[in-house]
Amino acid sequence: MYKLTDAEELELKKIAVQLRKNVLDIIKSGSAGHIGGALSSTELMTALYYKVLKNIDPANPKREDRDRFLMSAGHKCLIVYSALAEKGFFSKDLFNTYFKLKSKLPGHPDMHKLPGIESNTGSLGHGLPIAVGMSIGLKIDKSDAKVYVIMGDGELGEGTNWEAAAAASHHKADNLVVMVDRNKFQLGGETNNIMNFEPLAKKWEAFGWNVRSIDGHDLKVIVDTLTDAPFEKGKPSLIICNTLKAKGISFLEDTAASHYWKVNPEQVLQAEKELEAVAKELENE
Amino acid sequence: MSEKKDPRKTFGEALVVAGDKNSKVMAISADSSSGSQMTMFKNKYPERHLEFGIMEPGITGICAGLATTGKIPVFATIAPFVTGRNFDQMKVDLGYMKQNVKVVGRCAGLSYYHLGPTHQSLEDVALMREIPGMTILNPGDPVEITAATIAMTEHVGPVYMKIGSDPMPVLFDEANYKFEIGKGITMKSGSDITIIGTGTVLCRAAEAADILEKEGVSVRLINIHTIKPLDKELILKAAKETGKIVTVEEHYVSGGLGGAVAELLAEEHPTKMKMIGVNDQFGSNGPYDELIGLYGLLGPQIAETCRGMLK
Repeated sequence: MYKLTDAEELELKKIAVQLRKNVLDIIKSGSAGHIGGALSSTELMTALYYKVLKNIDPANPKREDRDRFLMSAGHKCLIVYSALAEKGFFSKDLFNTYFKLKSKLPGHPDMHKLPGIESNTGSLGHGLPIAVGMSIGLKIDKSDAKVYVIMGDGELGEGTNWEAAAAASHHKADNLVVMVDRNKFQLGGETNNIMNFEPLAKKWEAFGWNVRSIDGHDLKVIVDTLTDAPFEKGKPSLIICNTLKAKGISFLEDTAASHYWKVNPEQVLQAEKELEAVAKELENE
Repeated sequence: MSEKKDPRKTFGEALVVAGDKNSKVMAISADSSSGSQMTMFKNKYPERHLEFGIMEPGITGICAGLATTGKIPVFATIAPFVTGRNFDQMKVDLGYMKQNVKVVGRCAGLSYYHLGPTHQSLEDVALMREIPGMTILNPGDPVEITAATIAMTEHVGPVYMKIGSDPMPVLFDEANYKFEIGKGITMKSGSDITIIGTGTVLCRAAEAADILEKEGVSVRLINIHTIKPLDKELILKAAKETGKIVTVEEHYVSGGLGGAVAELLAEEHPTKMKMIGVNDQFGSNGPYDELIGLYGLLGPQIAETCRGMLK
């Protein structure tokens, strides 16, 4: 387990603000985008790319010993593009191609268009099965690499996730660490009203996973938890990350409307001001 | 047509050979290893055989993940469950992601003759043809099944191969047989009419050609074992030289071999055509030969269809 110091936490908080700014920069060059889930998973992505993922190298994105990260809820790709560009996998100049013809930044990620992307997600329920195959493949190779996945909570309705959940525990994929971004909203409203999957932890436990539940915006807790995986030898690890949809932009926060946001230039300005204010606060800490 | 062999056993034996040649080859089972004759592979290479039980869409994704780590997964089970049920995974995880996975649909076509439409696959080729980059193999005799099994594991990219379950006559001489993905085989080089056969009913097309030859008809017989990519050159040459094309397949006539040939000829060289196969209906059930006879797929019936075109 890795314990962040206060100074490291402050540094990561600043990076999280920068990743949110990147998301805004990308989305404002198009006309719309899935901002809610991108912002609810920003701290998870910050922790992964700046403290957790090992052997991630923009100069050699296919390094064999790298940890893998899959964004199973592919519509959250804005935060993936943001983090990969910030890490140097590609230039931020590409941000303004979002929504343009043949852009390398489509509305769902394409591994053949950008370095650092491990799978083509977007059709829900695909990321976890692919991750299970990667985990088993890496174990066969006796690799120390781990596979990390962020899933949406609305995505859990897809049956393939539960097929993969059974397969991962049956094949003892303890190199697999899955985060459910539990922001409690999907396109049409609250997840629990649309299809209730609670009690979520018990379901995953019943499928043979070791489950923890955390605050998905607390960087110290996130890093502690992710670096403590596998939680139990021989079992895959599942982290229910309690988050706020569209965290960081006050007028979008905790709303279903933020799931797919039609960009309004005045609102972009307001959002930028809010992020700038947070950045200043952090500078003064 | 003397000796007959079990296509599944032939596939299972060939998979062991493919596994001998390349240690990356793995056998993936959806409680289907016994039915797909992968038990031989499992016994020889237990650490390269993975069982997942009945979850075909999930397994298809898992195969894509395995392929990202350099493995060559060969996933074999009942044809409709690895083409229809898991279509989205075939499209996205194998096609769009360009993963090196080999999917084998066994007991394809009408070969589950007693079990009815849930287990029959008359649409598998039509579905797979719509996935860019997907190679589709439909070998026509045991020699070809062996060659195709090894060739697909050597080919880089997603492959769908279909095999039947009824014993198949040996049509090719193993010593002189050469298999190349995308290259059809001219079995008879006549000039009056061309019969193009594929897969389980290639032997029926060959039987029809023999019947017609005895009647003095000069028949060209072509074996299309690769439906995608289609051997356009060979088919266009036959269309130009014989002027009449009959396609024969244990599949819907739309979207399968017949559809592929018709699409080619419509644009490149419009030619008189008949497409023999199943029309827009669910397959019936009953003894295999009687069942395929409902759709005009027996040798004498194919010959009769050709006679109609020669009038």
